[in-house]
Amino acid sequence: MRKTIFLLIFLAAFGRGRSQIISTDSRTPAEQKIAWAKAEVTAHPEEPQPYNDLAAALVGRARETGDPGYYDQAEAALQHSLGKDPHNFEGLKAKAMILLGRREFKQAIELTRKLNAEVPDDVLTYGLLADGLIETGAYQEAVDKTQWMLNLRSGNVPGLLRAARLRWIYGDGDGALDFYTKAYQETSPTQTEDQAWILTQMAEIQIALDHFDISDQLLHSALIAFPDYSLSLESSARLETARQHYAQAVALLRQRNKSFPTLESRYELANALERAGETAEAKTAYAEFENQALRLSDTPNNANRDLILYYLSNANRPADALRIAAGEARKRQDIATLDAYAWALCANGQYGEAEKQMKAALTTGIRDAEILYHAGVIAEKQHDNSAAASYLKSSLELNPASEVSQEARRALDMAMAAPVAAAAAN
Amino acid sequence: MLRRIFYLALLLTLVTLPAALRGQTNDTDGLIQRMQIKVKLYPGDYKAFASLGAAYLQKGRETGDAADYELAKSALSKSLSLLSNDPAAAFAMTQMAVACMAEHRFTDAYNWAQRALAAGSGDPSPWAIAGDALADVGDYKKADEAYSKLTSTFGSADEQQAIAYQRESRVAYLRFIAGDTPGAIQRTNAALQIANELHMPAENRAWTNYQSGEEYFQLGDMKHAEKAYQQALDLYPGYYRALAGLAKVRGAEGNLREAADLYDKAITAVPYPEYAAALGDVYEAMGQADKARKEYELVEFIGHLSEINEQIHNRDLALFYADHGLKLDRAEALARKELEVRQDVYTWDVLAWALYKNGKYDEAYQASEKALQYGTRDAMLLYHGGVIAAKAGKYEEAQQDLMAALAINPHFHLTYADAARKSLSFLTAENSSKASVDDHAR
Repeated sequence: MRKTIFLLIFLAAFGRGRSQIISTDSRTPAEQKIAWAKAEVTAHPEEPQPYNDLAAALVGRARETGDPGYYDQAEAALQHSLGKDPHNFEGLKAKAMILLGRREFKQAIELTRKLNAEVPDDVLTYGLLADGLIETGAYQEAVDKTQWMLNLRSGNVPGLLRAARLRWIYGDGDGALDFYTKAYQETSPTQTEDQAWILTQMAEIQIALDHFDISDQLLHSALIAFPDYSLSLESSARLETARQHYAQAVALLRQRNKSFPTLESRYELANALERAGETAEAKTAYAEFENQALRLSDTPNNANRDLILYYLSNANRPADALRIAAGEARKRQDIATLDAYAWALCANGQYGEAEKQMKAALTTGIRDAEILYHAGVIAEKQHDNSAAASYLKSSLELNPASEVSQEARRALDMAMAAPVAAAAAN
Repeated sequence: MLRRIFYLALLLTLVTLPAALRGQTNDTDGLIQRMQIKVKLYPGDYKAFASLGAAYLQKGRETGDAADYELAKSALSKSLSLLSNDPAAAFAMTQMAVACMAEHRFTDAYNWAQRALAAGSGDPSPWAIAGDALADVGDYKKADEAYSKLTSTFGSADEQQAIAYQRESRVAYLRFIAGDTPGAIQRTNAALQIANELHMPAENRAWTNYQSGEEYFQLGDMKHAEKAYQQALDLYPGYYRALAGLAKVRGAEGNLREAADLYDKAITAVPYPEYAAALGDVYEAMGQADKARKEYELVEFIGHLSEINEQIHNRDLALFYADHGLKLDRAEALARKELEVRQDVYTWDVLAWALYKNGKYDEAYQASEKALQYGTRDAMLLYHGGVIAAKAGKYEEAQQDLMAALAINPHFHLTYADAARKSLSFLTAENSSKASVDDHAR
């Protein structure tokens, strides 16, 4: 926490997230890299590497804009590279980046495992492999791969970022913030999107820890560094939701969805509209979300986790939620998927299986108020009031103002009252 | 001090070489041979190509031969064609930035440094080159910001010290530009201490001693300047920069024969036009006009030897022409051309001097103001500024500048120091004679 405070002071004094050193070039970092790569392509059209650089830069642009169309362009660039040398290592790494961007995690893992075996001292290959492993829930192996990154090259930014994410997953919020802070300090001020991304990740942790003011400052800096950044706007909306400023959350999500809205951001907007009392518009937004989410449900780029939550929380269709959750859990066993599956099982009265899946979700020790609330409710349904109370207390201690805090308090009251009621009955 | 940034940029070559390359003394040729064998045996080894490129850069630093930079770029390009989307590619990118600096392609150098930083290796070394590029384009404030990022909490204690060395040696230059020569000496000596503690390669330690000598010379402290140049020569015998530095000291002492001998040795090692021009001046002072003429011819020959030489030596040639009243149109054109890519105080100074020699006194005064805007305590800059100010009718300012030049170092130049004294005597005389203040050196 202290390091985050220092970072905030630093941001206030010098950076405000915006480079003091960059020239007047108005292009984004990815646009600059695209321009450099295109110049190299023109100069050396016979070489595969300029096309690899172009593909990687286009993947970066996809993250900057949220426009998945850049993955198609990246793939087109990659075709040139692989056409010249089908086995060129850097080209295959760029391919892994595209696969990860398109959420084709299984293929990405297969490819990066091969690359890793071929060149076991390539830092970023470990990182790309770790990304796939994290997304599919193979956390311990992801830890091993990330440790390799840091062992091979101490202080490298891609390694720090993945290590930070894993620390958060393993319940070490302070450790995660420490690594994010270090990564931010090591990041060039010209890399504004990278800066904004790191600040946004830190803000997300601060929201989860109920530190709304700090989160606000981090997001403010992120949006100065990279204006209209979709990920920062989404986080800002989550922050405003947590503060129960629903109208502001709606405004932020409308702003975010002006360009390349994702299914997730559409669902978040629908939620925000409902909370803001704009029921009719929320209903339309939910319907649009459901239609599109169902259409993409069997593709890698699906929004199944949100669809599950929609069926459980908004549409009262637990059976549909469970069907989708079961399918998703067969494909990936990351924490969010297992939590959604457990919650769907619970909604369908399958408490035993729900408890099993929830235990799997909590294996790493993640500290997430909503997941802990779900765990508490499931434990209560299993009549394990002691465990239920423990989970619910943890949820409330972690974030007394989380979106589920009111339900958690009610559930905690019930869990605490149950033994007393049972004793009285005896 | 004119070429200082250029040298600093190259110094990074060895400081950031992989561990296997560190601790070499004077074995750059051997290193190149070993790396050549390695890249033949392992044509897919990006590290070997990057190390080969770095070794060629070091060779270029030692010989001043522009062809080495071409070889360096070729090896570095090959390395980057094998690996570019990875933190490990930052080393080759940084070396590419160094190569661009050597060729005075400052914008390209800055961009390569930024690409290296964007690779996220955790090594802040590219900030050194980014700062160098910014300093050469005259953006000293941003250069200072860049150098302030030369800190690291990662890596071994030695690696962190190596980063500190890069910071101290560069901040010293900024202190000098800001007019704080004692501060500059302090930072250079701190860098020197680190270099010795790290047992850095002899050439690098010699370079740092040479820098220290340059700063002492600027301060007019001939005793310490001589000591520093001599230490550089002890560490790295035949070191051309130190030979030229020592020649300057001997010239200031009036020992022209030894000065000529030392310049001659420096030119034999690395034929830089500025050394040939200085040797010509020494011969002229000795009354050996024929020998002087030959050296002046050599200046032009070197300056036009290749396309890259013309690019690198624009400013040197402009100064040479202006100093010697030769091809004055060309002098101005070269200075203006240089100013397109390089807007540091020394380029403004050379332009001011060329304009003055062309009789464009108002323009010269404006350019001179730019050269002196940071209060740099460089006797030559102040001398130029004083003479130009007098011609622009700013007599008080002229007097102050000339007095400052002589106060900083009464022997700052073989001929201009006396010229400064003469000009000052005119300025302190009756008003009627002030208009006749001129460049009395030639």
